[in-house]
Amino acid sequence: MLAEDSVLLREGLARLLDDAGLDVVAQCGDAEDLMRKVKSHDPDVAIVDIRLPPTHNDEGLRAALEIRADHPSVGVLVLSQYVELGLALKLLADSADGVGYLLKDRISDVDDFVAAVRRVAEGGSALDPIIVSTLLARRRSDDPLAKLTPREREVLELMATGSSNQGIADALVITLRAVEKYVSSIFGKLGLPSTGSESRRVLAVLTFLRS
Amino acid sequence: MATPAPAHGSSTHVALPRPIVLWAIALAGLAAAGCTFALAFTSDHVAEPGLQAALLVWITLPYVISGVIAWWRRPDNRFGPLMILAGFAMFLSSFQWASAALPYTVGLAFDVLPAAVFLHVFLAFPTGRLQTRLERIAVGAAYSAAVGLQVVKMMLGGVGPDNLLALVAEPAAANAVQDVQLVTVSALCLAGIALLVARRRSAGPRQRPYATLIVNSFGVGLVMIAVLLLAGAFELPAFETIRRVTFGVIGIAPVAFLIGLLDVRLAREAVGQLLVDLRADPAPADLRDAFARALRDPSLTLAYWLPQFESWADLDGRPVQLPGRGSGRAITMIDRDGVRVAALVHRPLDHEPELRDAVTAAAEISLENGRLDAELRARLEELKGSRGRVIEAGQRERQRLERNLHDGAQQRLIALSLDLRLLEERFGGDPEATSALERARREIALSLDELRDVARGIHPAVVSGHGLGVALESLAARGPVPIRLTVNLEARLRERLEVAAYYVVSESLANVGKHAHAGAATVDVARSNGQLVVEVVDDGVGGADSERGTGLRGLADRVEALGGRLRVWTPHGGGTRVRAEIPCA
Repeated sequence: MLAEDSVLLREGLARLLDDAGLDVVAQCGDAEDLMRKVKSHDPDVAIVDIRLPPTHNDEGLRAALEIRADHPSVGVLVLSQYVELGLALKLLADSADGVGYLLKDRISDVDDFVAAVRRVAEGGSALDPIIVSTLLARRRSDDPLAKLTPREREVLELMATGSSNQGIADALVITLRAVEKYVSSIFGKLGLPSTGSESRRVLAVLTFLRS
Repeated sequence: MATPAPAHGSSTHVALPRPIVLWAIALAGLAAAGCTFALAFTSDHVAEPGLQAALLVWITLPYVISGVIAWWRRPDNRFGPLMILAGFAMFLSSFQWASAALPYTVGLAFDVLPAAVFLHVFLAFPTGRLQTRLERIAVGAAYSAAVGLQVVKMMLGGVGPDNLLALVAEPAAANAVQDVQLVTVSALCLAGIALLVARRRSAGPRQRPYATLIVNSFGVGLVMIAVLLLAGAFELPAFETIRRVTFGVIGIAPVAFLIGLLDVRLAREAVGQLLVDLRADPAPADLRDAFARALRDPSLTLAYWLPQFESWADLDGRPVQLPGRGSGRAITMIDRDGVRVAALVHRPLDHEPELRDAVTAAAEISLENGRLDAELRARLEELKGSRGRVIEAGQRERQRLERNLHDGAQQRLIALSLDLRLLEERFGGDPEATSALERARREIALSLDELRDVARGIHPAVVSGHGLGVALESLAARGPVPIRLTVNLEARLRERLEVAAYYVVSESLANVGKHAHAGAATVDVARSNGQLVVEVVDDGVGGADSERGTGLRGLADRVEALGGRLRVWTPHGGGTRVRAEIPCA
């Protein structure tokens, strides 16, 4: 379902998702309506604009956090005109399961966007590349990232955005096995314990990069 | 300032004595003078009656007349009435010329009284009151000696035959008492001079001009009385000559006292002190006090005219209501070059026009400075407020612009990009069309990035939307050096506070990147003791240059507009510490 106050964008998004074979069960223009409809429709994923009426401040974010707390089965994909590390940390405070945070611009990269929607709907995660590159660019006094090869760095970036191993393999045009090798190598070099699920992996990487 | 001070002795307004009373006293004085002449000329025991009567009138009538004038012109001063009483008291001594036994006895009893009266008047100048215990003792002793010992002497039968008081005839004892009396009174007169000299010393430089004048002129009178009395005691041959000269001097005294009392010198002295006070550039409250002293009115109010507000105000800017008619208070308007400056609210000065005029003149000169000062202060306050308003208005406008960009242009561009993408699908078979559309989409993506940067530059929307803590995460992550960020805020603060703090961090970190050559930096944000404290510390080279200074100046403006302050420590080689403290209670 969709929560977006700009009718223009909301209609475009609905058509896009519809064309991609996703079922848009409900649309709304403000946070109150969103909470009501999440309750009644119990969607797989709610796509929420971070700025919603009436004040256009943090209503969307608060609604998103509320859905995460009260309806854990509903994935939340937050769209925003700007992406902020602080907000990503807030959204992913406890887990990266079924949560996404993307720049609004990303919707025109339809394939990637639809993939992200599907991932979040299925309990995975989607983090905007800007967040990840901000974290990767962060200055560190004793940078463990320097130990990574360029290829491993690419894999880490994709991993942090929430991509699955298959997604990484497709994006880099390498085999799934090669991806798995890179992943375990990266975890080894960064001293992170291997975790099972791909979304938990996002959180681990995020936490590591942030510290 | 507006609360009236309790009534003060010297400033209490005394009703003007009715003219008929004054005329009656003056006429009584003239009648007494006539009576004196009559007594002298009808006396059976006065040689040179004309001269004697003239001498006595010479020392009595001026006191009465001067006293009347003084009372009329200075109704709240007791010196006038004192002079009147002195004149009539001295007149009593003329009764000794009477042939009848009773008036003769009375007159004789008051024979030496003029000496004591003169001492009293002399010491009581200019207030009409004796000021110290010593003065009261001296005057009391003089009266006792002049009248009391005179009565004793008379009881001992020391004077003529018609003395009704004579109990015994002991001329030798009477003579001894008389010697003691005359020596005592003359000693007290000399003591009076000593008291005046002491008063002159303790009064300090500001009272000296007129005090010196009085002492110098009438110290002579006291000395002559002393000499006269001693001449009487030791029966010097020149007694009569000394007596005449002494009376001559004593007779001039009341006129001089009157001149001293009414002379503008008194006003001038008050004003002179006022000018001395004003020259010392007094604090506002002291300025009022200086006028209060000059006009002898502790409850005086000083109100400034504020033309831009068309109202009266005290120096703290609180409005002052000037009293209306019938309030018992007088208002003196202070104008400068025809422009209203201030007003003094004070006790009525109808009978001291010289003082009022002189103080008004002094005020006209001095208060303009005070008013300008007050105005400057008021403007400064207003400027402070308007700086805050300007910054706030600017911030609101930037916020509005940023929101318009996000909600308008940005949304449209995204929708357009989406449309193009859908078109791309429709022209899926035409590679030329799809590549053109994709180029267009990339252009839009770039525009969106640029737009986002512009919007962020205009206003940090994330601060308004999500608070300082969230906003600082990105700043710290994008920082030019490794940054340890600690934010200790339990709740959101007022938006303009958060925005100011955000700019402090962002500008400081930008400076760290540009100038500090630092290896690391810390950013600490915490709320403590009702203050938001933001501190950015780097381990760089310190010694912030002027270029950094301008950015810091803008920050300081922002912080100071919120009532806070920004401090920078930047020793050479010792890193830079920027600390902003903004009240947030």
